[in-house]
Amino acid sequence: MTVLQSYWNKWLNKRIPAATQHHLNHHNIFIFPAKFGLLFLSLCVLLFLLGTNYQNNLMLLLCYFLLAIFLVTLLASYINFARIHLQIGKCPEVFVDDNLHIPLWLNANIDGTSPANGLLHFKFQAIKKQSNKKAKAQHIQSSTLIDADAFTNPINLSQKCHQRGKLTLSRVTVESFYPLGLYRCWTHLAFSHQITVFPKPIPCEIQLHVSDHTSAKKSGEMANEQAGHDDFSHLKTYQIGEPLNHVAWKQLAKGRGMVSKQFSSIGNHIGWLKLSANYTNKTLPHPSQELATALEQELSELCYQVIELSRTQRTFGLDLGAQCIAPNSGNGHRVACLDALAYFPKWGDEDV
Amino acid sequence: MFKRLKQKSNDQGTAQSSRNIALLLLAATLVFVSFSLFSSVLTWILLLVACGAVIRGAIYYNYYKHLPSIRTLNLLALLSILGLIYSALSAGLLFGMVNLLILACALKLMQMRSQKDVYQLVISLFFLIGCGFIFNQSIGFSLFYALLCLTLLLSLACYHAPSIRIQKQLKTISILSLQALPIGLLMFLVLPQLSPLWHTPKADGAQTGLSEQITPGDIARLSQSSELAFRATFEDTPPVIQQLYWRAIVMEDFDGKTWKVHGYRKKMRELQLKIKQQFKPILTGSFFNYEVIAEPTYQPWLYALDIAVPADPKSSRNIMQSSDFLLFSQQPLANKYQYAVRSYPKALASQTLSVTDKKINLSLPANGNNRTREWVNKLRAQFRNNNDFVDAVLRHFVDNPFVYTLRPEIMLVDPVDRFLFDNQAGFCSHYASALAYALRLGGIPARIVTGYQGGELVKNPGESPYMSIYQYDAHAWVETWGDKTGWQRIDPTALVSPDRIEFGLRQAMQEEGSFLADSPFALARLTNIAWLNNIRLFLADLDYNWSRWVLGFNSEKQRDLFKSLLGKLTPERLSMLGLGIVVTIAMLLGLFFLPHWLQNRVATTQRLYLKALSAFEKEGTQRATWQGPSAFNQQINEQYPTKVSDPFTHITQLYLRLTYQNKLDTDSSILSVKQCHRMMRRYLALLKSELLKN
Repeated sequence: MTVLQSYWNKWLNKRIPAATQHHLNHHNIFIFPAKFGLLFLSLCVLLFLLGTNYQNNLMLLLCYFLLAIFLVTLLASYINFARIHLQIGKCPEVFVDDNLHIPLWLNANIDGTSPANGLLHFKFQAIKKQSNKKAKAQHIQSSTLIDADAFTNPINLSQKCHQRGKLTLSRVTVESFYPLGLYRCWTHLAFSHQITVFPKPIPCEIQLHVSDHTSAKKSGEMANEQAGHDDFSHLKTYQIGEPLNHVAWKQLAKGRGMVSKQFSSIGNHIGWLKLSANYTNKTLPHPSQELATALEQELSELCYQVIELSRTQRTFGLDLGAQCIAPNSGNGHRVACLDALAYFPKWGDEDV
Repeated sequence: MFKRLKQKSNDQGTAQSSRNIALLLLAATLVFVSFSLFSSVLTWILLLVACGAVIRGAIYYNYYKHLPSIRTLNLLALLSILGLIYSALSAGLLFGMVNLLILACALKLMQMRSQKDVYQLVISLFFLIGCGFIFNQSIGFSLFYALLCLTLLLSLACYHAPSIRIQKQLKTISILSLQALPIGLLMFLVLPQLSPLWHTPKADGAQTGLSEQITPGDIARLSQSSELAFRATFEDTPPVIQQLYWRAIVMEDFDGKTWKVHGYRKKMRELQLKIKQQFKPILTGSFFNYEVIAEPTYQPWLYALDIAVPADPKSSRNIMQSSDFLLFSQQPLANKYQYAVRSYPKALASQTLSVTDKKINLSLPANGNNRTREWVNKLRAQFRNNNDFVDAVLRHFVDNPFVYTLRPEIMLVDPVDRFLFDNQAGFCSHYASALAYALRLGGIPARIVTGYQGGELVKNPGESPYMSIYQYDAHAWVETWGDKTGWQRIDPTALVSPDRIEFGLRQAMQEEGSFLADSPFALARLTNIAWLNNIRLFLADLDYNWSRWVLGFNSEKQRDLFKSLLGKLTPERLSMLGLGIVVTIAMLLGLFFLPHWLQNRVATTQRLYLKALSAFEKEGTQRATWQGPSAFNQQINEQYPTKVSDPFTHITQLYLRLTYQNKLDTDSSILSVKQCHRMMRRYLALLKSELLKN
């Protein structure tokens, strides 16, 4: 089963490689009679038997007509399905245990040709690793029904993120039964993406190691800082790009123009966020489950701190042992830190 | 069905909710189908159907929001099935099946919640429409059922695309059907017509048409009907109208009032059916061929001119010849039945008379009709010669003021006496009955034959002529046996009312005004109004062609069709035909898909460049959307060895040159566009081979 599965996945990867947008065509469309189609065929057989036995030409004509409808619908459903064009949109930041809403744009920048019709079922391909029941439950949960004649772009597919790091986005299965339900047209689309799942932020005290990088091991020099303690220093003219929550709205109301508040804490409290040393030491004798969870816990707390510090425009560095990010501030720095946390090797990964 | 009702209902969200118009269409279809089968469906089942439709309507228009609960429906199903078993046990299997199907559909309609329910109902309805064709085959009903089929397809379309307007759906379905129709017709014409695979229960209904016994006056009742009895198509010109005596039933058993089919003949026919043995009459003289399409009568009797034998193998498989020279079908005619026959009009004279035949045809009731007995005895004493005696009896009809009427008086006691000597007014059965009785009294074997006489001839240029024979053409005449002449047909009606034979009943009844007196608006009665008559003839023509070409299409007709197409039926020609059909379909498909393909094609320059890109994509290097061709070329130069990047640089340069260079420059440059393309192809091949080596 698993061998078959892997072959199937390999074949799929070759047949429908990941891309940011897919235009459905004969390379990626699968089509086969649906259950109802098979029922319909058996109806035709029954009508044929009845018509032959009663020597009833009208019944035979009905049978052949339905059979012809069956054939013609094959083309009709293919053509309808081939009008679908899907593009993955920009994703918001996502943390572990969050529901990620992946935006898919259906026929967004297609004009001229008529769009697809009928109901479309979107769902993530079931992950076979889990036990069947669980997979089934997830299956139903993630199925989204879209009416291609009445919908608003983008289509949001939600997926729960279980692991930090690069998001493993399973293939999106799109299926349609239009026009008569006789055929099931479906496809398994892989979308290439740059989505990183950050560790789940867990609220904690902010622990900035004020000292410089080399002498950080002394715990006495730890500066316990509460967020929001920064001191206001002066006002200056607002520049585009500065955060809006720094704008002195009162001054604006008084008619003194857009000015932004400047805080003085930045120079004083440059600090480092640090991971405990025992995780950076790779020669630890017995990697255990407890250590792994403890690592995740710590990464989560670091994540919280990064977010909080960035929110308050503080300058900080991140030291993960193997990887150091120099103190800085701003959104780029924040993302870099979160990325580093997300991609921090899992405990025990190095052994494998 | 009971179990099916129990299945869990799972609503598939708002889009396929119970307020979809598809469900309303399904309800309407069910109502129409079941009411079209009105005569063979139990009334209470029709009521259930109506209930189901009302429930669906109420839910659609939001008068009511709740479906009946599963438990209620289960109870209803149980009760209905008991009821059905009670009422359908005595009726036939077909009756039971149709009723069960309609009942199941009605219950499903009330219960319909999930997608599965809808699909099951649609399939059942299609099947029901198929069954409808067993009962009704006229053009009108066929069109009606075709319409219902389209409605079903429409409801399916509405179900799968709930937000499209119904007009657009209608268009989609019409296009689909128009595409499917020629394919369906082709299959119908080409696929072999098989003979029945096993015996199936036939629909049974009230017997119509001629009956197996006549009491004088009976045929008069039939004469009030303008319904079609059968149609006959002749290969050449049909015989003159005075010769058109369509034989159906022979009656040889007389009890003083009523003529019946003799018990001996009945037993013989049963025996024939059992051992599949045909009676073989002696066939002499000239013959002619024709085809008959008989309307359903739920009786086995077939119509043919004297003396007829089945003319093609299919007909002879199903038609039996009886010892009284009539044809009967192995099953009662529940549908229109088409058969080919060949008639030998002079052969009646050369048959033999067995001892039993003679005994049967001379037997008389013990008493009654005494005046006739005396009269015959007197005549017989006068005329010893058989021919003279027959002439003398017939002269009685000519010399006395006999009247041919559709409104004879009822004669209860000694009907022959009263007819011959008192009333002297009657219908063909009176004349035939009196004559046959008189001849038997005189010792001449005689019997009554009932059937039809005459018919309405339609000659369309270029087609074989055909006759329509209506119920009012029903007739009765006499057959007598002479040792020298064999069986001879004598029609006493012809002596009294020659118009009846030459011009038909309408003409004969003109003075009396009793033709179709019960149905004043029958089209057949209003032939004096020219345009109404034209409409009547047109409808008859349509119905004839429908019966002949659609309902009567069979393996022989199929072979004829192929013959007319190919000239001769050789395997080569047949395979050529098959090939031709396949090629035609392929070309049609090509026409269908060509625009689609052309749309996908990109200009050659673009295509070649894209091919080079996809070659790199396979290696894992993808051009980012923001990268221009030159920038990507730079990236390739950095990532790959020169052997790979060199050809790509050339390709990129050629691409840029062809795409972005000034048109005038291109024309004047040393390399033409074609040469550029050739170079691009060469470099592409080089690039691919180098990539493979890599």
